[in-house]
Amino acid sequence: MIITLKDARITRDSWSLTAAGTFDQGIHLISGDVGSGKSTLALVMAGLFPVSGGCIVKEGISSCMLSLQFPELHITGRTIAEECASWGTRPEDILVTTGLTGREETSPFYLSRGELKRFHLACILAKDYDLLLLDEPFSSLDCEEKARLCSTLERRSRGITILFTHEQDILPRVVRVWEIYDGRLTDCGRPPDAFRHWHHLPVSVRKLIALGSVPDNISRQDLREAACRIQG
Amino acid sequence: MIAIESLRWRNLTIDALDIGPGVTTIIGPNGSGKTSFLRICAGITVPDQGTVRIDNLTPRETRIGWVNEFPDRNILFARVTDEIASSLRFHRTISGSIIGEEVRACAESVGILHLLTRTVRELSGGEKVLVSLAAALVNRPKVLVLDEYDSHLDARTGEKIDRAIRASGSRYVIRCTQHMDTAMSSDHLLFFDSGGVTHSGRPGDIFPSLKGTAWYPAAWECGA
Repeated sequence: MIITLKDARITRDSWSLTAAGTFDQGIHLISGDVGSGKSTLALVMAGLFPVSGGCIVKEGISSCMLSLQFPELHITGRTIAEECASWGTRPEDILVTTGLTGREETSPFYLSRGELKRFHLACILAKDYDLLLLDEPFSSLDCEEKARLCSTLERRSRGITILFTHEQDILPRVVRVWEIYDGRLTDCGRPPDAFRHWHHLPVSVRKLIALGSVPDNISRQDLREAACRIQG
Repeated sequence: MIAIESLRWRNLTIDALDIGPGVTTIIGPNGSGKTSFLRICAGITVPDQGTVRIDNLTPRETRIGWVNEFPDRNILFARVTDEIASSLRFHRTISGSIIGEEVRACAESVGILHLLTRTVRELSGGEKVLVSLAAALVNRPKVLVLDEYDSHLDARTGEKIDRAIRASGSRYVIRCTQHMDTAMSSDHLLFFDSGGVTHSGRPGDIFPSLKGTAWYPAAWECGA
């Protein structure tokens, strides 16, 4: 199960992005500055935006899902129960896990920002997609929910998960780090080797390296273990 | 001083709270009342009970700048330049050339000079937040209210924006964030839970009590 970008060129007015690389199973993280093209690349990988050059090859991928940056763009149901049904999920399952029990008849638009994001992600994560593209999945979530999402993503036993995110504080363990820099998608490699080339290296990882301890990966647990090595 | 007394709105209950000048950051779980509180401070919502007095005036008598996480809900104009200039055109009697200069200066302070000729529709989520921030700052608000404005910003842009906010001249900045490393740089920290303020003080005094939770800054993990 892999997705390969073969010098895929994405253009929009005067802006362009070139992307090359192969994504295999596991969690991948793509970072990049504001306006660098992360969301557009997510659309392209989902097949929702055309490439102007090169191509994208998907092998062994029979199901794909893209979670957009703003969850309200996904809503089709008038009520939470209808929205659950539109995703092919049972409201009783989703509402318990999201703490929304008893609100089946509420409009999704009446949920708070954090509630809507939590609800939307629960609907998506209820199914096991071969290719899961998550655009800014941590936005709107509080710190505890971010940590819970990391655990959920790490439990996905199969498939390719790609996170397009600015998040730096609370992240899951990843198999590979990528970044968009100077109009090109760059493969920084696997952690911890990726830390040598990653322009968007999280501040906490940078501090640990400066103190002489390189974390194995980017999760909170990896940071704690690296910090504990400093303390002996 | 911003003085809050006997505040009641939905699940929000604050008997007494004073907020001094500088940057005040609110943290806490989803649904704890942070956004409700910010909307009340901005004068967008009027509480059922209680008062908010900003240097003895109500929020609606005060010049406020407001940015929320979903800028699409607030942006009115198609062109970036028109959006940033809107508050000056609506509320202040200023010549067009001066408005143009102020719009450029404000756009430069948040690093979006290159976006001035673009339409809002073309922008990424993070770029829209920066446009909203410029539109708020250009009116030189006394109180700048920012609701999870940074959830779509990369770390470097966030740092640049922090500097622009500090340099803006706003006497009070009240912001909500889910980035604890950002919250660390505040003058004052409030932790909201279940509609109330459970911690209030300097970040250095509050964060140690949150050790072992997801709210503890990554940079402080195990003393790093």
